[in-house]
Amino acid sequence: MIKKLRYPLAVVFAFVLPLIVSNTYYVTMFCLTLIYMIIAFGLNFITGMTGQMNLGTAGIFCLGAYTSALLTTRLSLSPWIGMAASAAVGFLIGVGLGYPSFRLEGVYLSLTTIAFGEVVRQLANNMTSVTGGAQGVRNIPPFTVFGYEIVTKIQNYYFILVFVILFAFTAYRIIHSKWGRAFIAIRDNIEAVETCGINTAHIKIVAFTLAAVYGCVAGSLYAHYSAYINASSFTLNLSVSFVVMILIGGMGNLWGCMLGAVIVSMLPEFLRFTGEYYQLTYSILILLCIVFMPGGILTALKRQQK
Amino acid sequence: MLEVKKLNAAYGKVHVLHDVSLHVKEQEIVSIIGANGAGKSTLMRNIMGIYHPKSGDILFHGESLSKLKTDQIVKKGIVYVPEGREVFADLSVEDNLEMGAFSRKYSAGKYRDLLEEMYTIYPRLKDRRKQLAGSLSGGEQQMLAIARGLMSEPEMIMFDEPSLGLAPVIVDEMFDVILRINKEKKLPVLLVEQNAFAALSISSRCYVLENGVVNAEGKSRKLMDSPDIKRAYLGG
Repeated sequence: MIKKLRYPLAVVFAFVLPLIVSNTYYVTMFCLTLIYMIIAFGLNFITGMTGQMNLGTAGIFCLGAYTSALLTTRLSLSPWIGMAASAAVGFLIGVGLGYPSFRLEGVYLSLTTIAFGEVVRQLANNMTSVTGGAQGVRNIPPFTVFGYEIVTKIQNYYFILVFVILFAFTAYRIIHSKWGRAFIAIRDNIEAVETCGINTAHIKIVAFTLAAVYGCVAGSLYAHYSAYINASSFTLNLSVSFVVMILIGGMGNLWGCMLGAVIVSMLPEFLRFTGEYYQLTYSILILLCIVFMPGGILTALKRQQK
Repeated sequence: MLEVKKLNAAYGKVHVLHDVSLHVKEQEIVSIIGANGAGKSTLMRNIMGIYHPKSGDILFHGESLSKLKTDQIVKKGIVYVPEGREVFADLSVEDNLEMGAFSRKYSAGKYRDLLEEMYTIYPRLKDRRKQLAGSLSGGEQQMLAIARGLMSEPEMIMFDEPSLGLAPVIVDEMFDVILRINKEKKLPVLLVEQNAFAALSISSRCYVLENGVVNAEGKSRKLMDSPDIKRAYLGG
């Protein structure tokens, strides 16, 4: 019963949440959490399901955000066009970076993705004439829907929520298609996948491209939501937190991605009382989580039920 | 239909196969026997494009395979059931079979017919079709790996140590399945085995591989009576 109703229930909960907790500060946190969810859904394809480590998500997110921000501020294009361009950039990253990188495996792959993230951040920081350098991009216009500008935090919350639902639905369909199963098969046993006549490099690139498109669209949403972006937010640390999200939530599972995004973005709030011991407490909690629930919180819960 | 010509293979500096030649004709079962480290699996992996030969050639229907990648070779119609039952543990039985059909574009009806066919070859897979492949027994996993290979409707099928780690009863059952596939689907089979007796019993011809060299070849029945083979591989 609950199993069938969990999707509508989650949607209803998400819709009423800002009515119950309407404090602007919290709604801001919720918006960010929603954006992270989209990124986690994307990362789930390549890291969660296909098992290929990607530590360059911040770079993807950054490119998406800058594409949309620059097109709308410098060329005064509509944010919708900015978002479409971001998605296209995501596709280009997927194919352009995926093609050379996914011939590599393990540590080498992780290193290339780290390098990618850093290159993007440095470019955003140093190509001052284009990106505005360390000053970032200011006055990014908001989205408009049927002539209404999405300005307040609450409006933004619902606007982003619609995207989360759309992306979750698409991700769900992909996970339960033969592509989704091929992703898992690669994580399970890559040699056997090849003997099935499947081009594994191709499948990995598909998974990575999906992750890049999700990440870039999330970047676009982020840019127009916060109206100001700065290269210094897109660090390797951020990339690691995305991996942590899907790790502690539960790999390969959309609920896990959502739970992970909520925990990683809200935990700092709940740990605020620890003051200067915050980083320490946070790291220890994550470590405990990974040691005692290696498949993520959701997997651990499922095992308990059985 | 398959011809391996003077194949030389190496892992780095370690030369494993020396001028190995063999062929497989339509509808026959050919076995390759040999001890550990003789180069049996290396041979299979070179045919499948998992590794590429140093020299020599592999022809399938007269077309060279030695430069192709594994997925392209499978599309040409050769399927390989790897050693040690490499099923996808985290996928259900049916999803495993679907992966086998990934490289082909079947209509929904045709796909269903193929699934049904697999379930008639080995009915226990049908009972377990929603179960995760990792929860199957060793024998069932081996059958699943075979069925997964058949899902791409190959023109030839190769087995690498299919009896490895299986109980004797299951081994018999599995060789029966291989025989049936060969008879009913008229599919040529190339089989690598350490279990020399079983391999010789089901195959029509056999190659004996020793330290990377083909030492003997011929009709399996004849080899079974040869004193050398008896001493080295059949325990007496």
